[in-house]
Amino acid sequence: MSTEKKNLSPIEKIKEVSQGLRGTLKESLKDEITGAIREDDTALVKFHGMYMQDDRDRREERAAKKLERLYTFMIRLRIPGGFLKPEQYIATHNIAGENSTGVIKITTRQTLQLHGIVKAKTKPTIKAFNQAGLDSIAACGDVNRNVVASANPLESPLHERIYQYADRISEYLLPKTRSYYDVWLDDEKIYNKAEEEDPLYQDRYLPRKFKIGLVIPPNNDSDVFAQDLGLIAIIENGELKGFNLAVGGGLSFTHGNPETYPRLATEIGFVSTEESDEKLFKAVYEVLTVQRDFGNRADRKLARLKYTVDNMGLDVFRAEVEKRTGFALEPIRAYALETRVDHYGWGQSYNGLWHYTAFVENGRITDLPSASLKSALLEVAQTGKANFRFTCNQNVILSDITAENKAEIEQILVKHSVIPHTEIASPVRKNSMACVALPTCPLALAEAQRYMPELITKIDSVLANHGLQDEEIIIRMTGCPNGCGRSVLSEIGFVGTAPGHYNLNLGGDEQGYRLNKLYKENLNEAAILQELDVLFGAFKQNRLPGERFGDFAYRTLLN
Amino acid sequence: MLAEAKLKTFLDLVQQSSKEELLWMSGYLAGVTASPGVTAPAAEAAVAAKPAVGKVTIAYGTETGNSKRVATDLAGKAKKSGINARVVSLDQYRLNDLEKEEYFLTVISTQGEGDPPAGAQKFYDFVHQTDKKLPKLKYSVLALGDTSYPLFCKAGEDVDAQLQRLGGSPLVPIQKCDVDYEDEANAWFQSVLETLNNAASPASAPAAAPAPAKKTGKKIYNGTILTNIVLNDIGSNKSTHHIEIEAEDLAYEPGDALGVVPKNRPFTVDAILKVTGISPEEKVTHRNSESTVRELLQDKVNITYLPERVVKKYAEVVEQDIPATRIDLLDLLRIYPVKDAEQFKEVLQILEPIAPRLYSISSSLEAHPGEIHVTVARDEFRINEELLCGHCSDYLSEQKEGQPLEFYIHKNSQFKLPAADKDMIMIGPGTGVAPFRSFLAERDATGAEGRNWLFFGDQHFATDFLYQTEIQSWYETGILTRFNGAFSRDQQEKVYVQHKMQENAAAFFEWLSSGAYVYVCGAKEPMSVDVENTLLQIIGLGAGSSPEEAAVYLEQLKEEGRYLKDVY
Repeated sequence: MSTEKKNLSPIEKIKEVSQGLRGTLKESLKDEITGAIREDDTALVKFHGMYMQDDRDRREERAAKKLERLYTFMIRLRIPGGFLKPEQYIATHNIAGENSTGVIKITTRQTLQLHGIVKAKTKPTIKAFNQAGLDSIAACGDVNRNVVASANPLESPLHERIYQYADRISEYLLPKTRSYYDVWLDDEKIYNKAEEEDPLYQDRYLPRKFKIGLVIPPNNDSDVFAQDLGLIAIIENGELKGFNLAVGGGLSFTHGNPETYPRLATEIGFVSTEESDEKLFKAVYEVLTVQRDFGNRADRKLARLKYTVDNMGLDVFRAEVEKRTGFALEPIRAYALETRVDHYGWGQSYNGLWHYTAFVENGRITDLPSASLKSALLEVAQTGKANFRFTCNQNVILSDITAENKAEIEQILVKHSVIPHTEIASPVRKNSMACVALPTCPLALAEAQRYMPELITKIDSVLANHGLQDEEIIIRMTGCPNGCGRSVLSEIGFVGTAPGHYNLNLGGDEQGYRLNKLYKENLNEAAILQELDVLFGAFKQNRLPGERFGDFAYRTLLN
Repeated sequence: MLAEAKLKTFLDLVQQSSKEELLWMSGYLAGVTASPGVTAPAAEAAVAAKPAVGKVTIAYGTETGNSKRVATDLAGKAKKSGINARVVSLDQYRLNDLEKEEYFLTVISTQGEGDPPAGAQKFYDFVHQTDKKLPKLKYSVLALGDTSYPLFCKAGEDVDAQLQRLGGSPLVPIQKCDVDYEDEANAWFQSVLETLNNAASPASAPAAAPAPAKKTGKKIYNGTILTNIVLNDIGSNKSTHHIEIEAEDLAYEPGDALGVVPKNRPFTVDAILKVTGISPEEKVTHRNSESTVRELLQDKVNITYLPERVVKKYAEVVEQDIPATRIDLLDLLRIYPVKDAEQFKEVLQILEPIAPRLYSISSSLEAHPGEIHVTVARDEFRINEELLCGHCSDYLSEQKEGQPLEFYIHKNSQFKLPAADKDMIMIGPGTGVAPFRSFLAERDATGAEGRNWLFFGDQHFATDFLYQTEIQSWYETGILTRFNGAFSRDQQEKVYVQHKMQENAAAFFEWLSSGAYVYVCGAKEPMSVDVENTLLQIIGLGAGSSPEEAAVYLEQLKEEGRYLKDVY
């Protein structure tokens, strides 16, 4: 509110004049001279769930050939809570084969994204998803994005009920504009500003992206403190009482800019859902409106909710939310988080259904020599006997399988070596995560998902040298400080600084309560392995009984 | 006597010059005024409205597109004030051109730790490493940056320092701009323009001596290959070479072709010499010109895929029965050997000269001084039957950078640019785009105001869009008014240029009606036939006329010289 108009970041202007996020997208799609879209439209297309990217590996050579950059689009679906029906998975599989690189990527926010879609294929792709009842609305952009939730039905008998909040909140916070339909689906309706009146987003949307996550204690698999708004389910005596609200999480920062920092969400109160959900939805909504009105619209690097909360002060922020909701938040309720990892393999939930969690390294669903994961998932989907749930750890749960169908699914998984692939992976590998980075991510400073697997192999062997091969350590890599790989919430975190170089962060905890800290800057692989060798040696010798590596590093090195 | 601005320039020049330089200048001026024929500088001065500087290169290095936008804007402004500005991306900029530059402006941003944009890295490294002096160069740097970084505008500063080190003189000092750069950029350019307009440099060379009177017969140029790159990207079915050749005293016009007589492969020539036993150094006369046997076989006579008429004569010489077929000389010699070296000399007499191959020129002397460019599709041969194809395409496409090349200019007076104010529609799929690159470059360099519409097509957008970034630049600067691309294999149904014409039939006819010229270049069949049929449809539809009337309309276009084809 205090930001004067002339200081607004250029993106603000683009949003404001975009006529409901339409901009010149239709014209851009028709431009035959380029595989790109017009510059302002690259900001708008994010709100429709797409990023324009290019193959950075090919830039130089193509420039010499007088060819423009090899532009393609990444399309990210909106899959609240990470849940897909088998027929939706089949559709996604087919679309990926026809229009994209073929790899289906499970993101760190439990949705799916496809890469390498050329401009001419964007509309057909969105249309095909639409036919499968899927969309990519608001999957990126300055709006509430995909709402995540604890993925595994094993967590609680209340899982189904709690997970559905993700879907409902996602729907509730969708922008009102119909532009998605008329740009991508040729819905002929003429733009009518009054019909698309959006009291939440108005014509300026949020100052920056906004992320909501729900968690069902004791598993913090959705990293609830990394969210702009975290909702922690409070279960007492087997009943859902409501949610603790935590605000201002966000892991991104900018190298060399001390005004930016990763921050964990702070709990500001409890909202009961015992009588109705009205208060919860109201509170969620008003957290967004406060961010809309108080967030920094001049500097996008300082625009996330975390800075708004810190600038206002927590008490003022809470008071503003309460003023708008018209009710006071109740005191925070007690709960306990124990872990953040997926339960690999089979498990049976309270309702008797079976669930199989398969390991998907860095979320890349593709056929590998070690396991034909992509073929296996398609075949499972074709039986129609399992649902698909994607986790924030980038794995897939084949879920809701009846006891009588379990053998059939198991047979498919065996045939494609998915079960041994999941079982053989080292504890470190199974607990690792990496973002996309090069060659498509325009922000990447260093490799991540293309490089992480081989680095893990090397780290495994350093661990083995110290007899630590069975140690569970959460290792995450992110190609730049924007933090898609949630690297600062790991026990060993790598943050890309330049090609082949990473900052080494240490000291996160198992449950996601504590950020790690920068330990050494700008290391290459040799230096990384050398540092870890020394650290693992010290860990082996000096750890307390049962102490995890992250806690050890925090206790001995960083305090 | 001198106007104030001129006087100031003159006095500045005098003040900055050494005694020797002043002596030289006084001698030079005496010469200029004494020679009655040479009035060029005076004539130039007489046109008061014209700026003193005609051409400026604006090269940009960009990561986010800002530098490019600035460069393009500035070029527009320059053109408005009568200065012809060539905009080029530093990743496209040929480094050796720097020596030739006189007025060179660069807009460059800084990334991360004071680095240049990736696309400008080569240029950046070059100016740091080269020791070639640039005494002619008058330059200025517009550095874009972000003051929130420690090394603000470092890349721009580095380039500025290096250009100075190499002997360049700053037109105006470097301008460093923060994130909101518009005002500073405009102010900087304003002072550049003022400097340029006042640079009534008396030292500018008098008009180049007219090219020596043409001798009869074609002039053979001895050129050097500067660049030979494949325009298609990895994964393409095509291999289209863009070849740049440098030569002295070049004279050609857009629409002309380059002629090359391909040489035979030394390996084959050696084999022929061996099989016939003839002495390679023996002198022979062939069609009134004398040369050694080796020279003749290598450079002058066709020895591959001999036509039937030559095979027939060969049969007569060697007195054997040979079926009517086309065959290589070496195979003939192996299957139906000659008696001895003497008989082979008779064979030499029946061989025909190597047919020259013609390639549409894809450059413009206005835009690419001292150079000639061609666009060569390997394995596609324009004149004869398919098996012959490849011979010359291969010869040209195999030329390495730095190698010499003999060629000549084949004038094509039928395929020329219209008057500067006329609109053009160019239809040139595949290598058919070559002359239109020349046309557009020429119109860009000369500031022709007519509108231009290009139809291009090929197999795949991602890999086969020949000259894409150049075409985009022309589109962005407004030289190219419209563009349509037909990429046949990017979707299930085949889409060709004629389909794009059809899609835009109304606008096409509007252009025609307002006097546009239509040019078609590329494959005679089926392309030019399909295009012509479509053209007839567009006319019929637009004029509401019968097929017969449309044919008359087209005929009239031809008569007016407004429907021109270079097809093969």
